[in-house]
Amino acid sequence: MPGIRGFILIWLMLAAGLSWGDGRPPSRVVSINLCTDQLLLMLADADQIASVSYLSLQPESSFVAGEAIRYPTNHARPEELLALDPDLILTVEFTDRRLLGLLDKLGYRVARLPMPTSISAIESNIRQLAELLGQPARGTALIHKMRSALSQIPPQPANQRPKALFYQPRGYTSGSGTLQNEALALAGWSNLAAEKGIHGYNSIDLESLLLGQPDQIFSSTYTGETRSLAQRQLRHPALHHITHNRPIIEIPFKYWICGGPMITDAVAELHAALPNKP
Amino acid sequence: MLGEIRQARLLGLLCVIAGSLFLASLLFGSQTIPVFQALQETFADTSSVLALILTEVRLPRALIALFAGATLGLCGAAMQAMLRNPLASPGLIGSASGAALGAVIALYFGSAALSQFSLPLGGILGSLGATLLVYLLAGRNACTLTLILAGVAINSLSLALISLLLNLAPSPYAVQEIVLWMMGSLNNSSMDNFWIMLPGTLLGWILLLRVGRALDALTLGEETAQSMGVDLPRLRWRIFLAVALAVGSAVSVTGAIGFIGLVVPHMLRPFVGYQPGRLLAASALGGAILLLAADILVRLLPAQTEIKVGVVTALVGAPFFLYLIIKSRRYNQ
Repeated sequence: MPGIRGFILIWLMLAAGLSWGDGRPPSRVVSINLCTDQLLLMLADADQIASVSYLSLQPESSFVAGEAIRYPTNHARPEELLALDPDLILTVEFTDRRLLGLLDKLGYRVARLPMPTSISAIESNIRQLAELLGQPARGTALIHKMRSALSQIPPQPANQRPKALFYQPRGYTSGSGTLQNEALALAGWSNLAAEKGIHGYNSIDLESLLLGQPDQIFSSTYTGETRSLAQRQLRHPALHHITHNRPIIEIPFKYWICGGPMITDAVAELHAALPNKP
Repeated sequence: MLGEIRQARLLGLLCVIAGSLFLASLLFGSQTIPVFQALQETFADTSSVLALILTEVRLPRALIALFAGATLGLCGAAMQAMLRNPLASPGLIGSASGAALGAVIALYFGSAALSQFSLPLGGILGSLGATLLVYLLAGRNACTLTLILAGVAINSLSLALISLLLNLAPSPYAVQEIVLWMMGSLNNSSMDNFWIMLPGTLLGWILLLRVGRALDALTLGEETAQSMGVDLPRLRWRIFLAVALAVGSAVSVTGAIGFIGLVVPHMLRPFVGYQPGRLLAASALGGAILLLAADILVRLLPAQTEIKVGVVTALVGAPFFLYLIIKSRRYNQ
């Protein structure tokens, strides 16, 4: 028994030693989170990618379901990851601490990207990952593409911005410091939730929402087809009266679940919903 | 004669309290609005925000509190009288948790098109099933302890099934709603919710309109009551059905709000001369008062997310329940 354990230990140390920065870009990158899956597939060469998470295959949440199918998938289980022999593991800041501790102990190189809450944070994530992958030019190109897509949307004068907010099941909304807030602003809306002093992802009281008199309500529900009390709340008659029977517009949640270049599509959808566009 | 005057006075007083609390429920909300202006705008029929808040947010909530509270108080009084058991109530003998289970099945697994009708129907069937099960488990002349034990068993079973089903439900939001069904909440109710619960509730009340005399007779014992012309099996069915209709419909909209059906009849019993028949109307008003007051309180408490109304009724009700146990222990010694 001690023999086997010693062997594994030496093997692990070898594996760890080989993976530490030897100047060359990583060639066996494993992503264990949908958010890093998407950026990885956009930035890396196909032969750099060893595996992406199984979540990237689900078309309702993933933008890269088509490409992801070409790679082995993982469920972020330690056994799987060891077998993949990665030289770089990608994930986001909120990841199971025990898994991170284990990977750290085994000497794997793990890069954790922050969850962006603004366009500039998305750009910095792209830049950081492109750098890590040895693909800085692709990063710059992707950022440039994002910026030019956003510049297509005509800015709305500050005094002509209709009021809108996101209203989610259970009465949650997106205040200042969220991607939705920035997207609403870029699309030409004024975010009622931020005006009410709500910061981050927080609940808004129904009476407070009504007193704000929004012109439009948006929603991004995880699964529109299912039923629950939380989802029933979106059908409260007062919500329809206050927007003069304008229906709640559903913006797919895959735009927000991970901050990435797809934010430009969300801004375009929000912009298209503006009443009497110039 | 004297008793009737006292009864009329009591009911009048309770009506006044319930009425004022109903108005207070329209006055206080999470936001302070000029209520007088809101009223004017409501009657002027302009589609203003204030009118909207008054008629579509506060009114349904107050109406549901009034009807659900009255239902729980009334059914508690009727059950205590029929089972001649001071601890019988919709919350303790399974009617409410059974209703919640039925409503959960209807809401999360039923077809969306039928939801308007299937929700109260699920509640009614669940309530009837659980109540009958407890009654059969405990036996007809069950002592307090047996009945409560049977109730505990069926309550736990219902609650376990509710959590299981909500964990299995396709909606990603379902799991977080377990507390809502177990504690009850009136938050964000709409007039739709009120119309859903109204028919069953009213039917249940109507069934209980004329049972007062029979329940009075029952205080003398089952045999005496039968000799006085009370058709006992029919009375039992009538009350079980009424409780199922009223509690089932109410709970399918509010969730299982505890302790009202237990506490209110006890509080009011001394004031009606310990006559079950007279207790019915008084308990209905008392239940409405308690739930309206509890619901106003949760809105006034400065909590980040709103406290469930069932938390407040349990905080009032549980100590009272303990007091009843201690009192009955003294009585037995």
